[in-house]
Amino acid sequence: MAQNRWLATGNFFTSYKEEQRIFLTHLDRLVFICFLVVLFVWPLFLEVGNKYMLVIDNILIAMVAILGLNLLTGFAGLISIGHAAFVGVGAYTVASFARILGDSHVLITHAWPLMILMAGGVGAVVGAIVGLPAMRLKHLYLVIATLSFQMIFQWTINFMSFFNQGQTISIGRVFWFTGKIVRKQHYFFWYYVILVIVIILGLAVRNLLRTRYGRCLVAVRDNDRAADAMGMHPGLTKVYAFALSGFFAGVAGALHAYLFRGAGFESFTLHQSISYLAMAIVGGLGTLVGSFLGPTAIIMLDLQVENLSEFFKHQFSAALDLATALRPLTFGLVIVLFLMFEPRGIANWWRIVRSYLKLWPFRY
Amino acid sequence: MSYFFQLVVSGIVVGSIYALSALGFVLIYKSSRVLNIAHGQIIAAGAFITYALTVWLGIPIYISFLMSLIITFFLAMSVERVFLRRLIGEPIISVIMVTIGLMSILDGLIYMTPFGAENFSFPEFLPKTPIALGGVSISWTQLLGLIITAILIAGFTWFFKRSTLGISMRAVSDDQMASMSIGISIPKVFGLAWATAGFSAAAAGVIIGNITGLNFDTLRAFGIIVFPVVILGGLDSVFGAVVAGIIMGLIQQFAAGYLDGHWGLYGTADLLPYIILLILLLFKPHGLFGIHEIERV
Repeated sequence: MAQNRWLATGNFFTSYKEEQRIFLTHLDRLVFICFLVVLFVWPLFLEVGNKYMLVIDNILIAMVAILGLNLLTGFAGLISIGHAAFVGVGAYTVASFARILGDSHVLITHAWPLMILMAGGVGAVVGAIVGLPAMRLKHLYLVIATLSFQMIFQWTINFMSFFNQGQTISIGRVFWFTGKIVRKQHYFFWYYVILVIVIILGLAVRNLLRTRYGRCLVAVRDNDRAADAMGMHPGLTKVYAFALSGFFAGVAGALHAYLFRGAGFESFTLHQSISYLAMAIVGGLGTLVGSFLGPTAIIMLDLQVENLSEFFKHQFSAALDLATALRPLTFGLVIVLFLMFEPRGIANWWRIVRSYLKLWPFRY
Repeated sequence: MSYFFQLVVSGIVVGSIYALSALGFVLIYKSSRVLNIAHGQIIAAGAFITYALTVWLGIPIYISFLMSLIITFFLAMSVERVFLRRLIGEPIISVIMVTIGLMSILDGLIYMTPFGAENFSFPEFLPKTPIALGGVSISWTQLLGLIITAILIAGFTWFFKRSTLGISMRAVSDDQMASMSIGISIPKVFGLAWATAGFSAAAAGVIIGNITGLNFDTLRAFGIIVFPVVILGGLDSVFGAVVAGIIMGLIQQFAAGYLDGHWGLYGTADLLPYIILLILLLFKPHGLFGIHEIERV
């Protein structure tokens, strides 16, 4: 059928393969490519201060982590309250290399893509080990397993002298083809690196969800016994989800370590795990768009909270650290309110806007 | 040898507090299948309310203890009413995430009070000299904590075995549909489960606060140590929670007493429960006394 490949006026699929396409119309593809081009080009024209560039880099790193968490919690239906610990595993993989070889060893400064991959691999292995109880158990128990992993991780970092007892372990500056990345270019350089990684991983997740393994995850989430009856292995699928999510978290952790030029304990606490969960929930569990919208929304919110507590600082006594109080309060409120009133997250608003624009000027 | 017995005694004291903390957790799980991640915050709230009533308002500590139990009872009930009531029937996963959010909210609220940053301790109301029993000494606060814990656990056991409300709570945990059909109000039972959990958590909080001093991090940690305890005891067994609490207390004391300082190990008491937990989840996830659920399609 010679249908319009630019504007879809309805669903005319004649095969499953057609339905599984990533871009339904050429227009979608065009918009996507334009969007990518904008993402790559804007820093060349717009001068942004280091402070805001850092925030943007942070958002991108959180996106990598949330892609993993969303695979685990959204698509496979397994809550993880230890995601920050998995991210920490990645960061400390790089950090332990720095500790053994010295922080400016060639392996760390020149072969950093390898290190990032390696951190992902270590994260995947650790994730699979923590997820092993999933072979037999359902989500309730896995919440506890991830929580205990978070505790074990915190203990390991805090008490072992190899990890500097939670103090920052520094990591040297990296090299690109043009030479050493100096202070001025640092955030700028990592923006591009992380952006490329986010795009690759985002496409990978999108593709994964079309494959047998990705659909296995969703099937096991919806009804593991039915999935079992249809020939999938629910236990293995869950462990696999844990490993995948560990990989994403590991990559995010390595990026975090490189961006901040060090790994310190305070970025991987239980509170951070909860804010990761908040990002996933606010973005929309079980949606790909949500993995991008959630971190953006939460980190922006975090910034506002910080500004607010700066603003109120003068009115209150100095003993009261308003930022430490307001941050958990807002994150908790955001989690609870979204779960109560918009459990499908911001991704749902995105969907509504999209379908409105698609049908405009008609209502339906 | 007296060192060993000293460890046993303090292990039992700590363990009985774990048991009391775990009790409330198990109550909520038993009746509504919800893991209450915010349990430690409720424990802390109970302790802080007692302190505020005693020191800031000058009420005698015994009365303020009872008052804080009642306040936390209604606090937990209203938490259930406001946040969790509308989620009945939603997937359990989102209810658990709501309790995670709740934990964060309570954290934030407590950080706003002076208790978030500073340490306090209850005024002394018991003799300071510890009781010596043949080389083993136990302080009065520990003894009082032990006694109160024993009374509360006995009371709860009676409540579940004999009283109508307790039996209806057990019925709901067994089969919601069947208990609804014989006229048990499910929301009421859920509310009551949360309220009693808050009650026991507050009691645990005051006892802990009396022994270790009022530090938010210490109190909050009890909400997390509860997880290894309940997994060891079996998630839905009140009796299991008591036994596992004491076992866990003993393990921690022995770890702190014999492992720390040797082979470069420190703080093993904080680590060991979670390692045990992970191993248990692999090999015996239903714990010592938990019921192995059989699912039918």
